[in-house]
This record gives sequence, C-alpha cells and structure tokens, in this order.
Amino acid sequence: MHLGLDDDELTSCVACGLCLPHCPTFVITGRDTESPRGRIALMRAVQDEGAPVTGEVLRSMETCVQCLGCETACPSGVPFGHLMEGTRAALAAEGHITPRWQRLGLRLLRHRRLLLAGSTLLALAGRLRLLPMRRLGLPARLPLRRGRHRASGSDVWLFTGCVMDAWQRHTHLAVQRVLEAAGVGVTPTAGAAPCCGALHAHAGLAPDAAAMARQVMAALSGDDRPVLVDSAGCGAAMKHYGRLLGTAEARDFSARVFDVHEWLADRLDALLDSRPAAPLELTVAVQDPCHLRHAQRSHEAVPVVLGPFVRELVTLDDDGLCCGAGGAYSMLEPELATAIRSRKTAAVERSGASVVASANPGCSLHLAAAGLDVRHPLELVAQALDSGGDG
Amino acid sequence: MSPLLAAAARRLGRRSPRPEPAGEPDAALVAELRAAIGAERVRADAAARYLASRDASIYSEGTAGPLCFPVTTTQVSACVRIAADHGRAVVPRGAGTGLSGGAAPLGRPVVLSLTRMNELLSVDLDNGVAWVQPGMVNLELSRRLAPYGMHYAPDPSSQQACTIGGNVATNSGGPHCLAYGVTSAHVVALEVVLSDASVVTLGDLTAEPAGYDLRGAFVGSEGMCGITTAAAVRLTRNPAAVRTMLMAYDDVSTGAATVSAIIAGGIVPAALEMLDRRCISAVEDFAKAGYPRDAAAVLLVEVDGPAGGVAASADRVAEIARANGAVSVRVAADDDERARLWKGRKSAFGAVANILPDYYLHDTVVPRSRLVEVLEQVYEIADRYELTALNVFHAGDGNLHPILAFDARVPGTMERVHAAGREIIEASLAVGGALSGEHGIGVEKRDYMERMFSEADLDQQSRLRAAFDPHCRLNPGKVLPSAHSCADIGALRAADGKLWG
Repeated sequence: MHLGLDDDELTSCVACGLCLPHCPTFVITGRDTESPRGRIALMRAVQDEGAPVTGEVLRSMETCVQCLGCETACPSGVPFGHLMEGTRAALAAEGHITPRWQRLGLRLLRHRRLLLAGSTLLALAGRLRLLPMRRLGLPARLPLRRGRHRASGSDVWLFTGCVMDAWQRHTHLAVQRVLEAAGVGVTPTAGAAPCCGALHAHAGLAPDAAAMARQVMAALSGDDRPVLVDSAGCGAAMKHYGRLLGTAEARDFSARVFDVHEWLADRLDALLDSRPAAPLELTVAVQDPCHLRHAQRSHEAVPVVLGPFVRELVTLDDDGLCCGAGGAYSMLEPELATAIRSRKTAAVERSGASVVASANPGCSLHLAAAGLDVRHPLELVAQALDSGGDG
Repeated sequence: MSPLLAAAARRLGRRSPRPEPAGEPDAALVAELRAAIGAERVRADAAARYLASRDASIYSEGTAGPLCFPVTTTQVSACVRIAADHGRAVVPRGAGTGLSGGAAPLGRPVVLSLTRMNELLSVDLDNGVAWVQPGMVNLELSRRLAPYGMHYAPDPSSQQACTIGGNVATNSGGPHCLAYGVTSAHVVALEVVLSDASVVTLGDLTAEPAGYDLRGAFVGSEGMCGITTAAAVRLTRNPAAVRTMLMAYDDVSTGAATVSAIIAGGIVPAALEMLDRRCISAVEDFAKAGYPRDAAAVLLVEVDGPAGGVAASADRVAEIARANGAVSVRVAADDDERARLWKGRKSAFGAVANILPDYYLHDTVVPRSRLVEVLEQVYEIADRYELTALNVFHAGDGNLHPILAFDARVPGTMERVHAAGREIIEASLAVGGALSGEHGIGVEKRDYMERMFSEADLDQQSRLRAAFDPHCRLNPGKVLPSAHSCADIGALRAADGKLWG
C-alpha cells in the first residue's frame, strides 16, 4: 500500500537508534515495533516492499504518542511527525484506523454549543454519580459553571479552543488576567474559532484538520494581531498550518501564532512591574509538554515567565520524556499512557515539588488523574498577582 | 475510557476488518516459548520479526524467528533450552545499535531481546562494582551511578541508546577508553547462560580470580559463547576536574601530527577525537556545538584528574597544538559548553543523513604514526568509487571510523560501497593495522578474518568457541569465516526468510 510518504523523508532515517531512549513507548516496552526507528522501517516496508498492513503494523502506528521526542533527538533531522501524520492519514482514509465512534467524537469538537452543553451534562452526570468518571478516563470533577469570556482590548487574540474551553475555562481567564496585568488588551476567540484541529491531524483525519485550520484562519484573518495560545498542543498545530495547507496565507497565519509564554518572555518587564512583593511560597516542577518542547521548541520560556512568581522552580531529571497524555492518547491507549505517566510521576516525586506546572491541558488532566497538583504556569502567575504572594 | 470499553467500541466502530496476521510459522516452538515465559513476551508476527532482522548496520542476511523478551535469567535459560530442543539457534539482541551485523540473525533463529532486563541490581561501593542486567543502557547506568559520584567509563558514541550486554559482546570502546581502557577492563564478573541452558558465573570480584580468565575470553565473543544475563561492572570515580578543548586545523595532517605530539609529550588525555570538514558540517546543524565550519579538521581533547594537574596538562596540550599548527584553541568554559562539544562528536554517525541517506561506518585501527597516510588513502579510495567519505575517529588510539555516505536507491551503489570498503580494510591492514577497534566482527568483517589471522589462529578461536558452545547454537555464522565456522553459512543464508504473507 502506498502511504503517500515522501521518499526523501522516509530514507532520511539511517536507523542509528539514537532516538530509542527518547521514545516513551520504546522505553516502556523495549520493543522495536514501538520505536521511532521501527515505525519508520515498517512504513518503508509497507510503502516500498509491499508488506501487508497487518494488525501489528497498525498497532505499531497507533501506539505512537506523537510526542516528537525522537525528532529532537535525531541528528539527521528525520521529520518523524510528518511521516506519522501522513501514515495515519493514509491508514484512516482506508478505514484501517480511527473507527467511526472516534470520528464522531472528534467532529463534535467543531460544534461549540453542543460541546459545552454536552460537557455540562457530563459534569452533572458525574456529580450525580450516574457515570463512573474515572473509569471512563474523564476528570473526576468537570465544571458545572464556567466564567464568561469578555474582550478587554484588541492587542492580541487569545485562542480558547474546544475541550479546554469547556473543561478548563478558568485557565483561559487566568491567562487573560496575566496578560492584562502586563498591559495587554485581550480578545478571546471563544465561538469564533472553535477548534484548532490538532486531534484530527493526530488521528489521521487530514481533510477535517485542514477544514478546521481554514475555519480558524478565516475567523482571525481580519487583522494581523498576534494569536496567543495557552495550550501547547493547539499552539503546535496552529504553527503547523503553513505546512498543513501549503499556502502563503497559512504560512503568514502561522507566523502570527505564539505560545503565550514565548510571547510574554519577550515582554517580561511589563509583567514584572506588577509583580507582588513576595512570590508564591511553592516549590514548582515545570513539566515540559512535548508540543512545547519538541514541536514548538519554545519550552524554555515557561521558567522565564513563571520563575519570578514562585519561591522555587525545579527541573525534572527525566530528560523531557513524554507524560503519556498525547491528546486523546490517554483515552485510546490507557495502559501504555498510564505506564508512561508513572515515569513522570516518579520524576516529580524525586524533584520534591508540591505543584506541577504544565502548559498543556492534556498533560495537565492526565497528570492530575494520577493525583498530582497540576496548574497551568500562568494560573500560578495569576494567583501570585491576585494574592500578593501567600501561597 | 476504560480499556474494555475502548476495545468494545473499537470493535463496533471498525469500518473494515483488520487483515489477519499471516500464518505464524514455528507454531509448536512459539507455543512452548509462550508457555515458558508468558504469551505477551513472545512475538512471532512478521512486523516484529522484520525489525529484529537487522541492527544499525547495512547487513541483513537472514530473518528472525520467534522474538522473545525475557525478564529473568531463568527465562533466558528456558528460551535457550526450548530453542535447543527444537534444534534452533539463538541470537541475543540489545538495542540493535551495532554496526557490524552482530545482532542480525542468520537463518531463522530464536531472537532474545534483552531490553526488558534493564535493572541496576546492586551497587557495591566497598568493592567498587555494580551488578547490572544486560539491557541497561550505557548512559543510563552512568546517570544512576551519579549520586555516588561514580560513572561507568567506556562511553561508545551510541551510549545514550546502546546496552551493557551489547557492550560486553563487542568489547566496546569509546572516546574515553584512551585513558580508561575498553569494556574488558571494566567488567569484573559475568553471569551468563551457556548454550546448554546452564547458568554460570565467570570471573569474581577478587583481584586475581582462580583458574583461567574465562571472563576475559567471554568479553568480546559477540554472543557466540553465551548470553550475558548480569554483569559486575567497575565503578569509576568522577574526576575532580575536567577540561575539554576544541582545536581547529587547516588540514587533516597537522591535526594528526598534534595527536602524535601530545602522546609523545607524555600526556594521556582522557579522550582525543578528530572530525573532518564534512563531518563538522553534518553535525553542526544538529548539535550547534560551535565547531568551526571552515576548518579542515577539528580535534576534541579532554583532560581530567586532580584540578592542578588538569590545568597544567591543558596548558601543555594547547601549547603543543599551537606549535603543530592549530589555527584556534577553544576551551569549554562550563559544563554546558562541554556537553555541546561532546554532543557534536557523539551524534556524528547519526547525522550522516544530512548529507546522504545511507552510510557504511567502518572501524579499523592503524598505528598512530600511519594515521595521515591511511586517511589520505581513504579519501582517495572514496573518490575513485564516487562515494562521499567522512572521517570521525578516536585519534588517540588510531581507531579510524571512515564513513562512506551514499544513496542506496541509486543502482550499483552497494557494489561500489563494498568494493571501497574492502580497499579501506586492505589499506589499514597493509600498514600493520587491525580489522576492528570496537564494533566487533559480526558479519561485516567475518570474511576478512583470514587476511589478519593465520589458519592456526582461526582454528584456536573456533575451538575456544566450541568449548563454550559445542553444538553451534549461539549466534552461528558470525565472526569466524566459513572454513572455520561451526555453521554452514551458505545454508543459513539460503534458509527460508519469507516474512510477509
């Protein structure tokens, strides 16, 4: 089967194996089928050698978290993420992966009102114990009410997305408070740009991902304001629109997209002016979301922005290995996701931190489900600004 | 979502049924292996076997049979016994980063992947050793020893991925082996499973073990004498001070002259590495090590030891470098810069695809005094065969790693690669060099063994192997050439290798 992969990209892997320790699924399983090098070799076998798409080949592709840790580690710069997205698109188009119930679920993300209403119903069902939330892989307490979005100016857009807006609106509101403290007028995108399409691209639903990218771009195209994103996964996807759509317009749009920490790090002075006398009395471990560290490569901005507002920041000693959240991965591959997460929770324990700062909603939910106290970095900053420093 | 629900939903929602896996061969063998070590630890499907059929080299002459992931010594022993009962060979495998085809199975043997046996079993500070399982990753071991102020000294360039078991099998080297010695000097005892499935310990923790040094015979035996299931490795105290320097040269020969002058000056640096221009350019994009792109070659020199001594040695090295024509001498200011300089060196082989998609990384040793001469020949040979040669090597001990970069998709390329490789090996042997410095012989150098060793030598090697593995069950067809091999290499090559469908 031809997977539609570029031959030069496919052959750029020299199979040296330096990616292996950076791949969360290889580290857990020790199996080549669950390694970047092995996955590329299987893509080549399928596309070039006529190997059949067996159940094991599909498992090999489905078990990939798409964390891109291998891309950062690869001395030859193999574009693994692009190869994996291409492979999944080809397999999904043939109906091999991403079954109908997943496609339906993903399509719901575009319909904001339905999503918000559904989320509230789910929250209600959870409170009334009609649904075993944890066993379904859902957060134990979903919000019943959400604060209202309001525009405070028109310096920047704040992209609010889909599930994050339904489940973690408080994060968006905190981020907006921080931006305002730095003197920035914020317009939340709310209903205008419902979903970035990242999960669709991960699932191999390339046409859906492209349609959603166009929808987001159309909604935010009236001006050239920066588009700030407080979800590492969404930010990575939106910075990727240029490559996804291959148009000059999309490339221009992607150039306007910034992770909110990245943007604030360049304007730190304005924020520090409103810094309280004392930082929060907390020891905070910064967890680097893969889509910040490997996809956007802008993770170093998080400690720069957060550092002045907490007593102590600690770095985890796990070399930035993925936490296993991977968008919908933690729901689709619960066993692997849990095993991967246990390495992260062990690293947090070793660090002695009481709070984990995570700049991605998926990581945050996944880690919180393991009992960690996880906050968005800018929620901590907002808390410091609000409280004047008492943890 | 619960796994059960997800599985049910997956079944309901599937648009088309998944293709069934091709009929599993070796059904009886697989069933016994599964019964012995657990069904989930045995893979017999085509995808898993396909990937276990090669390592990081260009050699793949056979296909893997059933692939086992044992987690205990008892399970390794059970796999070896069951394979023997079925008349099948066994090939051990670590991370598959080997470059000479040592882990690439010939015929259709049972493959034992030891990646799941990756525990640090004990740290014995009194004796200065740690017991580790074979799947422990080399760099991970040093990280785990860091809290004790210790590390494991041999550091192959692939150390972030390669395993201790593989290091023992190939008697691996690494940049820091110049001063510290290779794997053999750092493994004091081994627990191994022999070909009859018995478990024995070779060597012990005393300075002078009784009897023959079977541990010494085992290290570097490339999986043909037994399977390492635990190794007692020597702990090396982290040096009090380290200084890492990068020197740039306008031509390779002045760089090589510096190498000889440093050693002749009575200094043994911890490491002494050289990269040529093409290598510098291949790694620089990735590692951002700050290697000067306009230099013909760079030398990476590290000295370590007590603080006072290090400063004096570093000054002396810099002086020698300048006297021998170094255009610039840069001393790493901090650990971060030092790490970047090493990242450049250690990612060199993986960065080749920045130039061309395939490579053949050689491993020969020549006397230091003949370095320049052989390097010039390497470039000349590559030019003649229209191949691109990159050189990155352990200059201090004359261990060359010429890399031939090419695009295997171009018809006729592999023939040119092999012909050029042969000439490079001949050139190294002609000046009194050796076939392999650290990668092992595997499949790659097997047929060159007769160029280096006499009939009598090879017979003795064959007998030693037979003493450990009289029935030729462990990694057959490797290292020893046809005439001296216990295996019928031709027949192994011809074995049914059908994988897909």
